Amino acid sequence: MRPCTRIWLLLIALSGVTYGIGEAGLGGKAVVATLLAISLVKSQLVAGFFMGLRRTSFMWRAIMGGYLVVVCGMIGVAYWLGAVR
Amino acid sequence: MSDTQTLALPRNPPGDLAIWFFIFAELLAFGIFFLAYAFARAKNVELFNQSQLLLNRESGMVNTLVLITSSYFVVRAVAAIREGFSQVCARWLLGAIGLGGVFVAVKLAEFHAKFAAGISLHTNTFYMFYLSLTIFHFMHVLMGMVILGFVAVKARRGGYSADSHTGVETGASYWHMVDLVWLILFPLVYVIR
Amino acid sequence: MQYQSQAVAKPYFIAAIGLFVGQILFGLIMGYQYVVGDFLFPALPFNVARMVHTNLLIVWLLFGFMGAAYYMIPEESETELVSPGLAKLMFWIFLIAGALTIVGYLAVPYATLAKMTGNDILPTMGREFLEQPLITKAGIVVVALAFLFNITLTVLKGRKTSVSLVLLLGLWGLAVFFLFSFYNPANLVVDKYYWWWVVHLWVEGVWELILGALLAFVLIKVTGVDREVIEKWLYIIIAMTLITGIIGTGHHYYWIGTPEYWQWFGSVFSALEPIPFFMMTVFAFNMVNRRRREHPNKAATLWALGTGVMAFLGAGVWGFLHTLAPVNYYTHGTQITAAHGHMAFYGAYVLVVLTIISYAMPILRGRAANSERAQVMEMWAFWLMTVAMVFITLFLTAAGILQVWLQRATDTPLPFMAVQEKIALFYWLREATGVVFLIGLIVYVLSFFAKGETKAA
Ligand code: HEM
Ligand code: HEM
Ligand SMILES: [Fe+2]
Repeated sequence: MRPCTRIWLLLIALSGVTYGIGEAGLGGKAVVATLLAISLVKSQLVAGFFMGLRRTSFMWRAIMGGYLVVVCGMIGVAYWLGAVR
Repeated sequence: MSDTQTLALPRNPPGDLAIWFFIFAELLAFGIFFLAYAFARAKNVELFNQSQLLLNRESGMVNTLVLITSSYFVVRAVAAIREGFSQVCARWLLGAIGLGGVFVAVKLAEFHAKFAAGISLHTNTFYMFYLSLTIFHFMHVLMGMVILGFVAVKARRGGYSADSHTGVETGASYWHMVDLVWLILFPLVYVIR
Repeated sequence: MQYQSQAVAKPYFIAAIGLFVGQILFGLIMGYQYVVGDFLFPALPFNVARMVHTNLLIVWLLFGFMGAAYYMIPEESETELVSPGLAKLMFWIFLIAGALTIVGYLAVPYATLAKMTGNDILPTMGREFLEQPLITKAGIVVVALAFLFNITLTVLKGRKTSVSLVLLLGLWGLAVFFLFSFYNPANLVVDKYYWWWVVHLWVEGVWELILGALLAFVLIKVTGVDREVIEKWLYIIIAMTLITGIIGTGHHYYWIGTPEYWQWFGSVFSALEPIPFFMMTVFAFNMVNRRRREHPNKAATLWALGTGVMAFLGAGVWGFLHTLAPVNYYTHGTQITAAHGHMAFYGAYVLVVLTIISYAMPILRGRAANSERAQVMEMWAFWLMTVAMVFITLFLTAAGILQVWLQRATDTPLPFMAVQEKIALFYWLREATGVVFLIGLIVYVLSFFAKGETKAA
């Protein structure tokens, strides 16, 4: 199997997990953290393997990785704020 | 650029450098929009949690699978042209565009149901975000399909080769961006609570 | 000059510079009235001077854009203009209509002017930047149509390039959005809503396309970088402009009675508007660094780089400063707005028109570049005007911050006029810097008359 096919199947599987959590109606800090972590992994996979950033200089990977970490991280912060309020 | 076989890392990402400036500008736009959603929610947790339950998670999930798969097709298209197979490349691209069409159809059905239920930008802050975020993304899907369409037509005519196919990579990178954004948008708006 | 008909651009450029001088004189008069309230009372009220200042600005920029198009389009299309005669005729019509309008502003009270020019038939007057009498507005439409007809047919006849395509798109957009100036609903909210379709969608939409096209043209000429590279950047820049700028209109819809979601749309999208301006700066410097030739016109390159930097500062940085709804809640309509308005208009549109003039005018006068002496004067003019504008902006920003502080963001707000007196020092400083600006402008005008050995075409 090509590596990209494996990544594709992995992405499908992870999406299934996200959907399953949604169907189960779960909530709470741990669940939010899990879902965000899954999104981070998925988007990193797309960026690295599909967009080909994996094979570029450190700068490009850092920009994309930094972006994803900041966005997912800040979303986490916002949800945490919502929960403690 | 025939760096497929070599092991040395190319410095820049695939495709035209200019598209990467554009991609990061677009990512910034979506990123700010996502954070606006998240922080607006922090002030209205109840409202967001309630309204979110009324979204059609199934159609969101279907569209996730559709976009991931179409992105995968695009990867295959790039792989094909790197070996010099333009017709194969064009077929993968057409497949990806077709899946884009499925996304559009599913999304339109979803919008139709919401509008029929009388939901609009005015309904509440959650729906304001839901509609504007998904419509903004929707426009990007359409734009991505147009770009892939141009690339596919040129590939069909044999306009690319194993040595020269920056155009394919450029279109592919844009399409992956559209996919990547959805991978955050879907959990954020449809699932996380 | 490669094509004879490019020569019609010359009177347009000359008129633009002439009106520019008028604009600045009225700016100085107003700047003085700001601190000495009854200066020139009752001959020239502040509101009339303001109208003349801003309308001259718009009109001379339009002259500049038209001249630029008449110069660029034949060269880009590789063919003569369809009708140079029409272009000359329109020049005179536009100039005379413009002059008569200004005379009207100055000679009779505005309300009388409105009555004289049929404002009761179709009321369109009395709104900032769109104060022109109905007949002037109609005249502008006629001139614009004839102009668009002329250049569009020329493009269709000849070679089609990305630069001329983007330019045409911008100019057509300019004309189309101007049509909203004829729409003046009685409901003030609706009125303001569409008023911004002219004002905002001009400067943060279609004018940016014109800006991009002009800059790209000059950069192609002075750097010799491949057209393909420059065009690619141009497309990315205009795509980003439209994505952010159109919905970015929302940053004017915060407090005028429009739905609340505009606070989100306006904040999010306009916060991204600096991106295309930033790209333009990077683009300009990048192209100059990659230049393949040393063009003898050094001054033109300076103006082009200046456009990149100052547009980003004025529109991007100073725009961003007050564009988020929670910030704008305090700064709306203060001197911060005026600071931004000045630097953005100067940095983006004044400078780009002066860029194309700097590049084209020597060629129109039969040489590749002006003499060393003239170029040095031009560069002095650039620095004097630009530094003066930076300081005008800084003083107004300081005045604006104090204004917000004393009048709005406080538990014990002072009345408007009390605050104005407290910040008068900054208005004095602005006026003094305005004089420096005028000196720069005089040097600029004189540079056209400087003697010395010119570089052959
Ligand atoms: C070259 C481009 C631009 C020009 C010429 C320009 C010019 C102006 C002018 C003249 C005004 C005052 C309008 C009035 O109320 O009479 C204004 C207002 C404003 N501009 Fe710009 N602008 C530009 C770009 C931008 C950008 C990129 C942003 C945001 C990032 C921005 C943000 C704003 C905001 C928020 C206001 C409203 C200020 C208030 O509430 O009083 N502008 N602009
Ligand atoms: C190229 C240079 C200039 C440009 C592009 C320019 C542009 C403008 C614009 C767009 C406005 C409307 C601002 C708004 O609505 O917020 C304005 C108003 C004004 N300008 Fe200028 N101007 C220039 C030079 C000057 C100079 C040199 C002075 C005086 C020293 C001056 C003094 C004024 C004053 C006093 C106002 C009225 C502000 C108000 O209504 O509170 N301007 N100008
Ligand atoms: Fe604006």
